Amino acid sequence: MQNQPVVAVNGITKTYGKKNQKQFQALKGVTFNVQPGEFVGIMGASGSGKTTLLNILSTLDRPTSGSVKINGKDVTALKGDKLSDFRAKQVGFIFQDFNLLENLTARENIALPMALQNISHNKQVEAVNHIAKTLGIDAVLDHYPTELSGGQKQRVAAARALVQNPAILFGDEPTGALDSQSAKELLDTMTSLNQEQGVSILLVTHDPFSASYAQRILFIKDGQIGQELVHGDKSQAAFYQEILSTLGTFQQ
Amino acid sequence: MLRKLALGGIRSRFRDYAVLFSGLVIASAVFYMFMALATNTKFLTSNSPIGMTPFIFGFGEVLLVIITMVYIVYANTFLMSMRQRDYAMFMMLGAKSRKIAQLIFIETVSVGFLASVVGVVIGMGLTGIAGNMLISMLHAPAAHFAVVWPPALIATFGFFLLMFVLAAFVNAGRLLKTPMLELLHASTLPNRLQQKPWKLIVQGLLAIVLLAIGYWSMTQLAKLQMAAIGIALITIVLGTYFLFNALLVWLIGLLKKNHAYASKGLHTFTLSQLSFRIRDYTKILAVVAILFALALGAITVGLGFQNAIPELANTQSAYDATTIDANAATQQAAAKLTGVTSTTRYTQKVTAKAVVFDQAQITARPLKFVAYDGKTSKHLSLTTNADLTKNMNEIASQLEQFRTPADAQRQIKIVPHAEYVALAGTTRNIVTYQVKDFGANYDAFDAMFKAQNKQLHVTNTQLSGQKMATYGLINEMFSGLAFMGFFLGIAFLAMLASTLMFKILSGASFDASRYLMLQKIGVRPGLLRRSVRQEIGALFAFPGILGVIHVLFGLQLFTTMLHDPYHNIWIPFAIFIVLYGVYYALTVWLYEGIVIKKDLAK
Ligand SMILES: Nc1ncnc2c1ncn2[C@@H]1O[C@H](COP(=O)(O)OP(=O)(O)OP(=O)(O)O)[C@@H](O)[C@H]1O
Ligand SMILES: [Mg+2]
Repeated sequence: MQNQPVVAVNGITKTYGKKNQKQFQALKGVTFNVQPGEFVGIMGASGSGKTTLLNILSTLDRPTSGSVKINGKDVTALKGDKLSDFRAKQVGFIFQDFNLLENLTARENIALPMALQNISHNKQVEAVNHIAKTLGIDAVLDHYPTELSGGQKQRVAAARALVQNPAILFGDEPTGALDSQSAKELLDTMTSLNQEQGVSILLVTHDPFSASYAQRILFIKDGQIGQELVHGDKSQAAFYQEILSTLGTFQQ
Repeated sequence: MLRKLALGGIRSRFRDYAVLFSGLVIASAVFYMFMALATNTKFLTSNSPIGMTPFIFGFGEVLLVIITMVYIVYANTFLMSMRQRDYAMFMMLGAKSRKIAQLIFIETVSVGFLASVVGVVIGMGLTGIAGNMLISMLHAPAAHFAVVWPPALIATFGFFLLMFVLAAFVNAGRLLKTPMLELLHASTLPNRLQQKPWKLIVQGLLAIVLLAIGYWSMTQLAKLQMAAIGIALITIVLGTYFLFNALLVWLIGLLKKNHAYASKGLHTFTLSQLSFRIRDYTKILAVVAILFALALGAITVGLGFQNAIPELANTQSAYDATTIDANAATQQAAAKLTGVTSTTRYTQKVTAKAVVFDQAQITARPLKFVAYDGKTSKHLSLTTNADLTKNMNEIASQLEQFRTPADAQRQIKIVPHAEYVALAGTTRNIVTYQVKDFGANYDAFDAMFKAQNKQLHVTNTQLSGQKMATYGLINEMFSGLAFMGFFLGIAFLAMLASTLMFKILSGASFDASRYLMLQKIGVRPGLLRRSVRQEIGALFAFPGILGVIHVLFGLQLFTTMLHDPYHNIWIPFAIFIVLYGVYYALTVWLYEGIVIKKDLAK
C-alpha cells in the first residue's frame, strides 16, 4: 500500500452565489492527490478557479460538494478551535494578496505563528532571523508593511508561512510580485524545504519558470483539471519547455 | 459624475457613516442638554442657593466645549480616513483639486449640519424626558426650566456649525497638501512609538504636578473661590492628558520590551493595536476619563443633595407628621402612607389657658424631639413637664405641632393623670406618624399637611412645627441642585457612552480586516476574543480608574455645601461601576460581532 496522501481532493465543486441569486460554478469536480514530500504546481488562466481551489484546500472556504482530506483528516468537517489549530500548525500559506498585519512590523508578522504556539522568545528570534536571511529580508525586519516594497511584502508573507515548518505549504502566486532574482531565491528556498525537510508544497502560479520547480503540474481550465505534466527525470530546462508548449496548446 | 462617486462612497460604508452620524448626534444632543441649563440664568439662580452657580456652569461650558472639540476633531479624522482614499482616487482619475476641495467642504459641513439638527431635536427630547422625570422624582419645583430654550439652540447650532466649517477648511487644505500616495495609504500608516524617554518623564512629572495642583485647589474653594474651579479645570484636563500620554507610551513600550510577555500568543498584536494610533488614543482616553469623572461626580453630588434633604429635615423634627383631630381628608391621606414604623396616639385637653397632656399617656409613650446644634443631632425622649421646660430652647418650634394657631396663647403642659381627668375642656386626638422613607411618602405627607392646614386655619405653614414644612423648605433649596446633578449626570453619561462606542466602532472596519487575517493564519477565536476584551478593557479601565480618583478629590468642592459629601458614596460608585461594566460587556459583544467571523468559510 502506498503512503497516505497529504492532500486528497475528491470531486469538489464550488458554486458561488446564493440559491436565488445569479450562480457561478467556479469548480466543476476536481479530484487529485498530493503525496508526502511532493511539490505540485497548479496552472491555469486567470479566473479558472485556482484561488478558489486553494482557499478550499486551506480551509478558508468550503466546497459545495466533495471532500478534502489533509493527512487523512477530512478538513471540511473541522470546526472551532480544532480548525484554528489545524490552520496554525498543519498548513502554511502565502496569499495572493499579502495579508500582512499592517500594525505589526515585518519581524512581528513573521513571529506571530510562533508566538501563538508560545515558543520562547529566543527561539522566535532565531527562527525569524534564519528565515529572513534565506529570503533576503533581514535588513527590513523592523519596517512596517507600508514601508516595504511589494516583493518584500510577499517575502515577509512567505517567511511567515514557512517559519512554522508546516506539513504542507500552499502558495498562491508567491512569486507574482518578485523580480526574477528574488523569485528564484524564494523558489530555491521552497525547493530546499521540500527536499530537505519533506515539506509538501502546492503552488499556484502563472509563471512557467516557477512552475518548472514542481515535480508535477496540474492544469486547470474552467474549473476542471484538464491536463497533467510530470517532471520525472527531465532537466528543469526541458520541463520548462514542455510547460511552455503545453500552455500554448492548453489555453486555446 | 463626481457627486455620484461621492454618494457611492457613502453607500458602501454605510455602517461607518451611521457610527459617525449617531456619534455626532449624541454629542450635539448632550451639548444642547447642557446648554439648556447653562444658558438659562433664571433657572440657575432660582434653583440654587449658591450665588456662583452661573459661573460654575460657565466653567462647565468651557470644559464641554473642549470635550466636544476633541470629539469633533476625532470624528472628522474618521470622516477623512473614510473619504481620503476615494478622493485620492478621484484625483488620480483626473478630478480637479478645486472641485475636490469643494466636495470635501460640502460633505463635511453637511454632515455637521445634519447631525446638529437631528442632535438638537434629540437633545430637546432628552431634556424633556430627563427633566420631567427628575422633577417628579425629586418633587423639585425647577422653576423656569425650559425644554425648548432658544439660547441653547443658538449656542448648539452656532458651535457645531463653526466647528464643522473650520473642520471643512482643515480637511480641504490637508487633502490638497498631502501627497497622493500618503492619502491612499493613510489608514494603514503606523504610528511609531518614538518618544524620547526624557520627554516621557517630563510629561509624567508634569502630569503629577498638574493633577496635584488641581486636586489641592478643589480643597481650597473657600479661600480661592471661583479661581479654585478655574485652576482645577485647566490643571486636571491637562494633567489627565499628559498622564495618559506618558503612562501609556511608557507601559506599552515596557510590555513590548518584556519579551517573555510580548512574545506569547497575541500579546504583541494587542499591544500594537493599542499603540497603532496612540495619539488619537490618548486624547480619547483623556476625554473619557474627564467624562467619567463628570458623570460620576454629578450623580454622586446629586444623590448627596437628594439625601441631604431628609437628613436635614430629620434634624428638625422627630415625627414625620402629627395630626390634631384629623378630619376625613387628612385621614384619607394618612391611610396612603407606606412603610410606617410607628404611630402613637395621645389625647389632649384644651383649656382656656393651656393645651394639656395626660402624664399617664406620656409616661407610657414619651414625646420625642430632636436637639440639633447645627452639627450633630440628639434624640430626646421627654416624659415630664420639667423635661419640657428644661429643653424648651431646642424643642420650642417642634412643640408647635401639638397646637393650632388658635392655641397661640395656650401653653403646652403635662399634668398628672388625676388632674387631667378632672380638667374641663375640649378633648382632642393627637396622632404622630413615623415612616421609613419620608421622600417616598412625599405626596401623602404633602396632602396631609395641606388638608390639616386648611382644617386648622394655619396661615403661616412654616410655624406649624410639622416636618413637612421644613422638608418643603429644604427641598426647595436642595432639590434644584439635586436636579442639576442628576440631569448633568445623565447628559455626561450619554456622552461618555457615545464617546466610547464611537472610538471603538469607528475602528471596527479597519480592525475587521486584521482580525480576519489572524483567523486565516489560525488564531483560535477564543484567543481573538481575549485580545478584543483586553484592548477594549484598557480603553474602559484606565479612564475609569482615573475618573474615580478625580471624583474622590472633586467631592472636596462640596464640603461647604453638603454635610458630608463622602457619606454613602459607595452607592453611586457601585451603581456607576456596574453600569460601566454592563456597557463594557455590551461593547465587547458588539465589537466581536463585527470583527470576528463565526465561520471563515461563509
Ligand atoms: N466570492 C466570489 N463570488 C462569485 N464569484 C467568484 C468569487 N470568487 C471568485 N469568483 C469567480 O470564480 C472564478 C474563479 O476565481 P478564482 O479567484 O479562483 O480565479 P483564479 O484562477 O485564482 O484567477 P487569477 O489567476 O486571476 O487569480 C472567477 O470567474 C471569479 O469571477
Ligand atoms: Mg487567484
